[in-house]
Amino acid sequence: MYTAPFDYRRAHDTQEVVTWLQEDPDNTKIIAGGHSLLPLMKLRLASVARLVDISQVAELQGIREDMGGLRIGAFTRHAQLAKDPAVREAAPLLASAAAVIGDMQVRNRGTIGGSLCHADPAADLPAALLALNAELVIAGPGTERRESLDAFFLAPFITTLAADEVLTAIVVPRMVPGAKSTYLKRPHPASGYPVIGVAAWVSVSGGRVEDCRIALTGIGPVPFRAARSEQVLTGRAFSREAIAEAAREAAGSGTLEDDEDGYKSQLCQVYVSRALGDIAQGAG
Amino acid sequence: MAEEFASAPHFVGARIPRTEDSRLLRGEAQYLDDIQIPNLLEMAFVRSPYAAARILSVDSSAAWNIPGVRAVFTFADMPFVLPQNGPSPIDQPVLARERVRHAGEAVVAVVAESRYIAEDACEAVHVAYTPEEPVLDMQAAQKDRPRRVHDAAPNVFYHQEYETEGFQAAFDTAPHRLTMTFQTTRQTACSLETRGIIAAADPFSGRMTVYCGTQSPHRLRGDLAEMLQMEEHLLRVIVPEVGGAFGMKAATYPEYLAVVQAARLLRQPVKWTADRVESFLSDVHARDDIHDLEVAFDQRGQIIAVKDHLMADGGAYASYPFSGAIGETSLAAKVITGPYDIAHLSTVIDCTYSNKVPLGAYRGVWGPVASFVQEGMVDRIAQFLHLDAAEVRRTNLVQPNQLPYRNAAGMLYDSGSFTESFEHALAQLDYTRWRATQEQARRVGKYLGIGLSNFVEPTAMASSEAGSIGYESCSVRVEPSGTVTAWLGLGPSGQGHETTMAQVLADQLGVDLEHIVVLHGDTDAAPLGGGTGGSRSGPLGGGAAMQAGRKMRERLDVYAAHMLEAAVEDIAWEHGRAHVRGVYARHVSLRDIARIAYNDVRQIPSGLPIGLEVTERYQPPRPVSFSNGTHAAVVEVNPSTGQVTVLDYVVVNDCGTLINPLIVEGQIHGGVAQGVGAALLESLVYDDSGQLLTTTLMDYLLPSAPLVPRMRIEHLVTPSDGALGVKGMGEGSLIASPAAIAGAVNDALSPWGVSFERLPIAPRDIVTSLGRSSAAPV
Amino acid sequence: MNEVPVTLWVNGQTYAVRVSPRKLLSDVIREDIGLTGTHVGCEHGVCGACTVWVDDRPTRSCLMFAIQAEGHAVTTIEALAQHGQLNVLQQALHEEHGLQCGFCTPGIVMTMEAYLHEHPNPTVDDIRDALSGNLCRCTGYQNIVAGVQKAARVFAQNSSGATSAAGNESTHLSEGGREYV
Repeated sequence: MYTAPFDYRRAHDTQEVVTWLQEDPDNTKIIAGGHSLLPLMKLRLASVARLVDISQVAELQGIREDMGGLRIGAFTRHAQLAKDPAVREAAPLLASAAAVIGDMQVRNRGTIGGSLCHADPAADLPAALLALNAELVIAGPGTERRESLDAFFLAPFITTLAADEVLTAIVVPRMVPGAKSTYLKRPHPASGYPVIGVAAWVSVSGGRVEDCRIALTGIGPVPFRAARSEQVLTGRAFSREAIAEAAREAAGSGTLEDDEDGYKSQLCQVYVSRALGDIAQGAG
Repeated sequence: MAEEFASAPHFVGARIPRTEDSRLLRGEAQYLDDIQIPNLLEMAFVRSPYAAARILSVDSSAAWNIPGVRAVFTFADMPFVLPQNGPSPIDQPVLARERVRHAGEAVVAVVAESRYIAEDACEAVHVAYTPEEPVLDMQAAQKDRPRRVHDAAPNVFYHQEYETEGFQAAFDTAPHRLTMTFQTTRQTACSLETRGIIAAADPFSGRMTVYCGTQSPHRLRGDLAEMLQMEEHLLRVIVPEVGGAFGMKAATYPEYLAVVQAARLLRQPVKWTADRVESFLSDVHARDDIHDLEVAFDQRGQIIAVKDHLMADGGAYASYPFSGAIGETSLAAKVITGPYDIAHLSTVIDCTYSNKVPLGAYRGVWGPVASFVQEGMVDRIAQFLHLDAAEVRRTNLVQPNQLPYRNAAGMLYDSGSFTESFEHALAQLDYTRWRATQEQARRVGKYLGIGLSNFVEPTAMASSEAGSIGYESCSVRVEPSGTVTAWLGLGPSGQGHETTMAQVLADQLGVDLEHIVVLHGDTDAAPLGGGTGGSRSGPLGGGAAMQAGRKMRERLDVYAAHMLEAAVEDIAWEHGRAHVRGVYARHVSLRDIARIAYNDVRQIPSGLPIGLEVTERYQPPRPVSFSNGTHAAVVEVNPSTGQVTVLDYVVVNDCGTLINPLIVEGQIHGGVAQGVGAALLESLVYDDSGQLLTTTLMDYLLPSAPLVPRMRIEHLVTPSDGALGVKGMGEGSLIASPAAIAGAVNDALSPWGVSFERLPIAPRDIVTSLGRSSAAPV
Repeated sequence: MNEVPVTLWVNGQTYAVRVSPRKLLSDVIREDIGLTGTHVGCEHGVCGACTVWVDDRPTRSCLMFAIQAEGHAVTTIEALAQHGQLNVLQQALHEEHGLQCGFCTPGIVMTMEAYLHEHPNPTVDDIRDALSGNLCRCTGYQNIVAGVQKAARVFAQNSSGATSAAGNESTHLSEGGREYV
């Protein structure tokens, strides 16, 4: 089970990556951690003529303050996210989601940018980042643009990223006082991918939900926000009843695939309810 | 049994860490793919993308043009077959001949300078097919629908019927009858090391050396010689370190013939190692049985008669030399009553061909399925009669005074501890406490279940997947320096034979463990034996070691008596030194004796041969020796997510004399983990076109550390009447555990009246079976 | 083939090899460098048999091209037993019978050795969780867990003289971690 031959290039800055992508956009692939790409290449499901290694691009690394939030380099590995003090303080939801990705070996290689750009419908970080209202910094030929993560995922393994663009950083707003968050998943027994993953972010004031974001992964074609659940909660007392209603709404989100027997909506309801319950009980 | 030990046992029975470990822990052990041979070529296969098709043409011209490609073979280049096998009238070609009969069947073999290049070349081979309708359903296949897999033979390749006298009357007049259908999907051994083989001409002798992780080195040599029309004495099979086998590596596979033949044709060493996708498409599969069962019983739950239609989907060919379909069903039919005293039995067996991977051996052949059927049947009776599951088992267990006991199928249970192991397991588990906890938990919406599984394990059989050699062999040589080398015909893959066989020899010879080395798996060195499989290595290999050790010891005693001027009966041995009993000052060392035996041969006591070498073969007194035991599991099932968590797991095991309890327990742990997989995770899934959908470890789920429970093990010892009182035990843990786990899940779900009769039980199955009404308790 | 020069630093030694960029780190370690203790079990990032350290972090060498390892320190199982002496974890696995066929063992040693360096005082559930990226088909994990516990105790004694809290493995708890009594 080996990949077809390819040409390997190691990039040193973002524009170099963009240039190489421009030269042959259809057959050039960026490799970050490689844990999603390599299995596909080995099964010869992904054809790659040129592989661009971005591990030496300094601009893609590092975590720093950015206008009240955190700017996280796209090449930041999951293990780094999980233990970085700044991430744990400013975006604990992201750190806790990163800590339960796959297994130790996966966390040591996988990167936040790789996880987003690969757009596997069952990845952990997209849910956490959706619930955090993350913004993406994307470099193209001579340009840089910012895009909300909300619209990024189009279909399984397909994003708004153009063939000559590269994700350089993810900007995550800082946790606000009064907000709590949690990430809860049911790991797949072999891959550790979420069979379902729920990221919840709830800001409560005077017993009422001021604002909330609930994102799900693993059960739909793309990670998504449970908009109706969020509407149900917002402005209401953070009660058992409200949580139950939000969980029911999540189960009826309508984006669940392959769910004739109702199993996925059942899981959805249980896990959304548990995640919100954890936050309500202060465990989040 | 003490009289069987030439000296007081210091080593047999002791928890001795293994001598094998050091090389394995340091990464220095040589598995097949670690062997480096100059100019080694690598083989890869073009495999059928169809479950059933006619081959129209093969165009390999593009493949030949790739630099580094050395050969492209089709059946025409190597027209060999694995011959028809037992009742199956069909042979299996080395490479597909005109037709392909399962997805993954090897069609073309490519040999190149590296595996990378060989795989590129496989992509460049174009095979044109006309697809045919695949045969995928075993019940339809019995009626040759939708068609025959092989034109030349009906799909049913094995049919057998058996009935005890008076069955029908007993069945008809019983107070109660229940009908049920049990099913297990396809599973496979899935050793972490895949299969592989190297064939290399020996430059010194011109003979062919074959390296292969087989369980039966001598049998493989014989098979290769016969099937490839080679001279057996010009073949040498060496078994390197083997990374797990579990019955699956006992078979002789088409790829093995292809590699040896390629090495002959190319006059260069050739290797093939399966990648993981190939493993799933070409290693023998297992299980895949249906049992249509009717059971008759009285109001106390005493089972009166069992009627079972056993069916197995044997796949495209009968795996050589052991058809898993026949093994799973014919053995199951003989022990389907387990340790229960059931007077009447009626069985019908149908094994069919299909367009799937051949069915072969996987640890516990027959047992995981039959135990699941047998215990499921008892649980259903208990539920029906509203009796306690343990009570119904007590009612039915074979009692101590009934032993030896001949079961309804005619199998003789030579000895055992059925009632004792069951009561011990209940006590270990604290059954009554768990029953009370179960009640309390239900009141707060938590669902616990208890599963009980009593098993019998036929071991040390004359015939198994390892072959049909009813004995095992051992050669012992005391070296001129007084250390000991022993060879056995076994083919171990992690069972620790180098340690256990040395323990047996050390006690026989009165020498310390570090002065003995045990070798195996080289047909040039080891005496001809059967190999490892069917839980035979402990009782048969151990018997051979004991017998060879004793024979050597008798000779050494004569030497010592002669040199110490004492009677043979007065000689005692310790730490490699013989002394006159009670007089430690008068002693002679094994080294002293060896010096005479080899170098100072005029001093050899009269009547003894020069040298210190013996070869012995041990045949057990019975064709089969039964181990037994009880597994008990407690699980929690979350009805809203289907998640199953094992809370407690108890094993009471009786395999007679324990050579090394540490190793016995390790075997049990591993078997239970595989049982967790069998019950909850592992399933080879085919789609409607006959494509295998589960071809990576992402899809075929093996149990990982967080999913496997901690086990508590208690040993009972009911010795056999064979050597040392040892019984086999490699399979009992996987025979019993799926039934225990499945029984516990069903018990947990009893408030819903849901009972699974099909393995594995996935979370989705549980949630959907409980229905939407079981909405999440928020 | 388009072979390129690749310089690897493995177990403290520098190796200059010429390999195709598609050649996996696991294959280069095994075939070009000749260290065959690193095994390949599933080729898909599930079984963990191929685990080595890249810059001291457990990494699956079958999911990495050798060329990606340039400039990084690679450590394999062969580096762990100094002068042929088993290290503490290896010795503990031996004593607790934490291996059978041994194929998964080097990967497990590499994973758990690194884990114990970062988490010297793990609970049984921590150990099982840390093992989740390494499959073993023989042992049922029980004696591996026992071996890791024993190694943790030895580490703790060696470093502080105190006994580690890694006690006997307790009964597994349900999903919510609640025990029934």
